[in-house]
Amino acid sequence: MSGGYNEIHPEPTTFWSKYIISFDHKVIAKQFLWYGIAFLGIGGLMALLIRWTLAYPGEAFPVIGHLLFPNSAGIVPPDSYAMLFTMHGTIMIFYAITPILIGAFGNYCIPLMIGARDMAFPMLNMLSFWFAFLSGLVLLASLFLPLGAAAGGWTSYPTLSTMIGSPGAGQTLWCVAIFLFGVSSTMGAVNYVTTVITLRAPGMGYFDMPLTVWGLWLTAILNAIFVPVLGAGVILLTLDRVMGTTFFLAGASATSGSGDPVLFQHVFWIFGHPEVYILILPAWGIVSDLLSFFSRKPAFGAKATALSMTAVSVLSTIVYGHHMFTTQMSPLLTQSFMTLTMTISIPSAIFFANWLGTIWKGSIRFDSPMLFSLGVVFVFGLGGLTGLHLGTVTTDLYLHDTYFVVGHFHYTMAASVLLGGYAGIYFWFPKMFGRMMNETMAKIHFWGTMIPLNGIFFGMLMVGYGGMHRRIYNPFVYDSLKRLMPINEMITISAILMGLFQIIFVINFLWSLYKGKKAVNNPWNVGTLEWTIPSPPVHHNYDVIPVVKCGPHEFGNPNLKNGRDFQYQTEELVQGPA
Amino acid sequence: MDFLNLSVSTSWWELSKPPLDISTNGHLIDSLFVYTSVLAVFYFILVCIGLFGFSYLYSQKRNKTPYYTYGNKKKHLLVTAFIGAAVFLSVDLNITRLSNNDLLDVFWKWPNPKTEKVLRVEVMAQQWMWSFRYAGPDDQFGTADDIVTNNDLRVPTNTKILFHLTSKDVIHSFFVPNVRLKVDTIPGRITRVWWDANIPGEYDIVCAEMCGTHHYLMKAKLTVYSEEDFNRWRSTSEKLALNANDPDDKNLAWGWKWEY
Repeated sequence: MSGGYNEIHPEPTTFWSKYIISFDHKVIAKQFLWYGIAFLGIGGLMALLIRWTLAYPGEAFPVIGHLLFPNSAGIVPPDSYAMLFTMHGTIMIFYAITPILIGAFGNYCIPLMIGARDMAFPMLNMLSFWFAFLSGLVLLASLFLPLGAAAGGWTSYPTLSTMIGSPGAGQTLWCVAIFLFGVSSTMGAVNYVTTVITLRAPGMGYFDMPLTVWGLWLTAILNAIFVPVLGAGVILLTLDRVMGTTFFLAGASATSGSGDPVLFQHVFWIFGHPEVYILILPAWGIVSDLLSFFSRKPAFGAKATALSMTAVSVLSTIVYGHHMFTTQMSPLLTQSFMTLTMTISIPSAIFFANWLGTIWKGSIRFDSPMLFSLGVVFVFGLGGLTGLHLGTVTTDLYLHDTYFVVGHFHYTMAASVLLGGYAGIYFWFPKMFGRMMNETMAKIHFWGTMIPLNGIFFGMLMVGYGGMHRRIYNPFVYDSLKRLMPINEMITISAILMGLFQIIFVINFLWSLYKGKKAVNNPWNVGTLEWTIPSPPVHHNYDVIPVVKCGPHEFGNPNLKNGRDFQYQTEELVQGPA
Repeated sequence: MDFLNLSVSTSWWELSKPPLDISTNGHLIDSLFVYTSVLAVFYFILVCIGLFGFSYLYSQKRNKTPYYTYGNKKKHLLVTAFIGAAVFLSVDLNITRLSNNDLLDVFWKWPNPKTEKVLRVEVMAQQWMWSFRYAGPDDQFGTADDIVTNNDLRVPTNTKILFHLTSKDVIHSFFVPNVRLKVDTIPGRITRVWWDANIPGEYDIVCAEMCGTHHYLMKAKLTVYSEEDFNRWRSTSEKLALNANDPDDKNLAWGWKWEY
């Protein structure tokens, strides 16, 4: 603990060194936040274009359709549709969720919550952001190529993603962008892991860390191990595309030699399944903390929650084959992956029990961060339980590549992570920017997100069970899917509604930046280390490195006599009369 | 606002039911789905009772003094462990066992053309069509008397149909919603699937794996005939096949020797 490099850096003086090439974890966190929110907007708009096409095929997209697709009278054409869902997936996963949940919260919360003055490697941290920035530019640039951006789905399965199926440069740029993003993520991950291990304040054992830090730390470990696997995969794919190698080519069209397209699926999902948990673990951590903070009582079974999250992280590395049941792996592999997948429900059940145990007999304040956290429990419940249908081989044979899968992973990755991210933004905004966000607007935003969100994703589960398969431009060329029209229309209307309610968030965010009520040091009355210092913190965070004397969830101790219902982590735990 | 009108006449639950099950074994998948859903709904209701119930009972207004506990008392640990074990025993073990039994007893129990009545079909997928090949009178695949059809699969009722599939260009996925099964078609590999349809009629065959711009148009028609109708179609087609099959037509000459 605190054996590392933890000295005070001189404060930057120029605009350039303060805001652009910044080494300060708090500034880098904000850079990632803006970056992520911008991409969230782009990815969200793409989602609306997709949804419009599915509900109203052949009709021009309202308002901006003619601007975006002048050659097709405002209608999304089929090739653009494929680019849209490919880019929507890529952007949301790598360029929206990852920067917000990992880049922004990881950078902001880890040093502050463990009592450090900065990350262990500030320069690596700066490079991590600028590699992500470069990667984003490459990805966006690919949208303006003559043959357009990558269009093989975010999974980019060969041989569709090789020259056989995607002749344009868009797919190559996609590979380059993902590789650069992998570099960025790996640098960030190495940094987070090292920071948590070496820079914890004196007295802070691993189980004294807030669960947010646990989630981010486990995420970073998974990132450091598995993102390089994806990097290797996209390099091989790039070689196939530009150098004439044949790692992933086979079949009659592979005239220059034969490899194996399924190999890429193994490489992709060895990364891809941990990636799901990479995205959700920070949200689990945040929710585990916030439920305790706003119930004013210690996190129920905090140690078990931390260990369950660890168990899920370990299990996530050995279940990836459930994405590939329909490729007909060997029966032994199929059976093993099914059984291993099912075991994930044990640790999941344990931390669900702990979440409910935390609010049990609490004294719950329904502030906006709490509402969003409770929302996560609801939507992740649905998302996790629908995973059962997909982890089971025979039901997966019907449901694989249908909208049931789309609904399931949007509940787990999109809905849960989005709500968890909003919970975090509403919670830490006062610390980040020194001002409070407007609570009324936040509550409207919550209900305006939560209700349509369930319309969208539950609707997807329904049409998927009805037999509608994924990634189709116009479902109504199939007679058997015409009956699902009303549900598809409901999903689209919900999506438009949800999109409109996000405008309230943007207005609230921007307005509060400049006009919000000034935040006190500790507006939520919470005892973790970041709330012991001013909002926003000074450049070096802590004048004196704090000494930790109790856990992060000390609420409602009946022996407290100082008028507060919580203790700071720097205070000795108040004991009752012996 | 069509969806508002329709919701009055037909319930959405009715609409989102899977299409008619025309196979002898599709009910296994449907019933496992329902079984899993019942378990999932049960546990989700428990989560909701906790979530909404505790939110109501223990709001700041109703409960001023929170219960100071770390949740690490013996009874707390027992309850948590019980929940974990209950989920594992009631859900995981059950559905894994049921699914595994169905695989071993049915879906992976490949019919043997030597000992039972089996119709063999070779399937070639390409952007963006399905081609089907039936062995002709010589019972060999890849010969001039094969029946070859495009986007048009015809099968008899009450016969096990065994498909061997591959792809010419990119990965596709052979999905027949009405029999609940799909399998990927992968360039350079042969995958297989079998089913037995028992309700005559016309149904959709779709491609479930993203395969390019016109993925959504990659559909074929499945016609299930009674056995007499199928035999009539087959003998007519066999007669036509020798004339129709041009050995120099590269698009037709894709069959391969059937191996088990």
